[in-house]
Amino acid sequence: MTAVRPGASGTLAGLLGAVSGASLSGIGNAVAVRLPAAELERAAHHLTGAGARLADLFAAGQDPVDLHLIWALDGEDHYLITQAEVTGDQYPPLSDIAPAAFAEECEIYEQFGIRPASGKPLNRVMLPPHAGPDFPRLGRQPPVPPADLHAPHTVGGHAFEFPFGPVRQVGVESLYYGLVTSGEEIVDLYMFTWHKHRGLEWRLRGRTPREASFHVERTEGLSAVGVGWAFAAAVEAALDVTAPAQAQRTRAVALELERLYNHAAATAALCQATGLSIGQAAAEIALERLLRLNAAVFGHRYLFGVVQPGGVRRAPDADAVRGGLHGAHGELRRAADALASTNSFLDRLEAAGIVTGEQARRLGLVGPVARASGQRIDSRADHPAPPYVEHRPAVATRDRGDVLARFQVMHEEAAESVRLIDDLLEAGAGDGTQELPAAAGSGLGWAETPRGEALVFVGLDQDGRITRARLRPASVRNWRGFDDACRSQNVFTDVPIIEASFWLTVAGTAR
Amino acid sequence: MALWFLRGLRRGVVTTGYPARSDDSAARLPTPPAFRPAALDRSTADRLVAVCPSLALRREADVLVFDVGACTACGRCQDAVPGAAAPSGEFELAATSRAHLVKRIPLLREAGT
Repeated sequence: MTAVRPGASGTLAGLLGAVSGASLSGIGNAVAVRLPAAELERAAHHLTGAGARLADLFAAGQDPVDLHLIWALDGEDHYLITQAEVTGDQYPPLSDIAPAAFAEECEIYEQFGIRPASGKPLNRVMLPPHAGPDFPRLGRQPPVPPADLHAPHTVGGHAFEFPFGPVRQVGVESLYYGLVTSGEEIVDLYMFTWHKHRGLEWRLRGRTPREASFHVERTEGLSAVGVGWAFAAAVEAALDVTAPAQAQRTRAVALELERLYNHAAATAALCQATGLSIGQAAAEIALERLLRLNAAVFGHRYLFGVVQPGGVRRAPDADAVRGGLHGAHGELRRAADALASTNSFLDRLEAAGIVTGEQARRLGLVGPVARASGQRIDSRADHPAPPYVEHRPAVATRDRGDVLARFQVMHEEAAESVRLIDDLLEAGAGDGTQELPAAAGSGLGWAETPRGEALVFVGLDQDGRITRARLRPASVRNWRGFDDACRSQNVFTDVPIIEASFWLTVAGTAR
Repeated sequence: MALWFLRGLRRGVVTTGYPARSDDSAARLPTPPAFRPAALDRSTADRLVAVCPSLALRREADVLVFDVGACTACGRCQDAVPGAAAPSGEFELAATSRAHLVKRIPLLREAGT
């Protein structure tokens, strides 16, 4: 989504008063505050205290490395970027203040070789163990390899590690679980997510935005529209380009169709995980109808190639939408209604995989996972950009934070997506694209994918080629809540149910 | 469970009659390109190679080498040189050897024509 212009806000004014040596600028469509690195901790304390949500942390450049912290000011309608140059190989520890920063501190260590000054052990989260000095990375190799997180095979008492993966079952992404258990209950869980690392951010360097969009869509194939839109919005913000209004509505139609088929797929996965094969077949019939609808409307079952920087490549076939949308959603709704009155299904969902509101807030979780824990976070509503300024979604929330709450949120959202698509088509959705100048700039883009808020930051050189593209799909945020959900009084057989309800991708987090 | 059993009987449809009959949605799917040798010279072939994001194209002297197995049917080659490439309509891709998916297309257009 695009363009929220820099403006004064209470949080920003407070930050400028709390730190010294800050300078204010605009990065495309967000407010940027450059700080001395020594002021980062004070800034993080102030912003977390003011209720800002740390949405991302990443590095760019080399000698010096430039740290970027992206803060979502959900109540004030914009994002704030704090930047600081790190000249040595250490920077002030941030995850003690904002726990949501820990996974990114690990990533930055693997990619750039700099680390927080706390001395805290950093885990391997992105690059494989064989990544040597010649392995493609964004900066330089860390002096000491990151720790491979492992539990001792006997963890005190009778607990032991049960390894599972990375090859798990047909059609499921590679992921290694280390389940620490005393036999049935999950005492602890950790994951290796690097098996699907493809060096995407590295590959984007030197490409034009249009060349890069092909790869960006493949960050996680199930969010081709959402991540593609966030990338396109970042490029448009960097170059001060606005996509045509009818193209913005087309993006939203595609994004809501993406949400629908993802929620149908998550429902089918929930049925599979609970052993309800007829329910799974019912949800998969709805899923197949939605995928065929995508093909009829946009020419691709998974909606690839619709969004491009500057606009869209295709207009929706409005007749195909009107002819198929309500029928396909009706199929999904009937399956969901039947599931909602099946006790053997509900018994497996209730009180399983609980994420409390406090956990969701501290870890910076997003999307249906956060909303099912009472966090009213939806970038379509909190940071609205065209067409969501005129077409506001009703945000579905629940408070229990369990799998059932996530199931209910998804199906309420699916119904809302159908309403939005009808409204968007009524307002007029078409094709159209703006030419992109070959110019320097940087910008932030975002979109609410089926898994939650996706963020993309793009820096361009004077030829309009990418110097740094930071891709942060929602999966990157939400996997860090998964182990907490599994530890909350769950047993082995709850893990696939919890995983289906999170509906994340490994590809998106490994990138 | 009985309700689910009855529901399964009532809604127990397969999603497609394919391959016994053709599938309606197939006509709408993106398909790999078919290249027109008569519209290809070294210059147009090089433009096609440059826009292919999945490295499915390369040029060897006066031959365009097309690896259908690497093609994602993104359509960028058709956008770049519309007269030289068009959707093939072929979505049933099967071969007994990986090498059979690599096509060699002669460049028959004379430069400047």
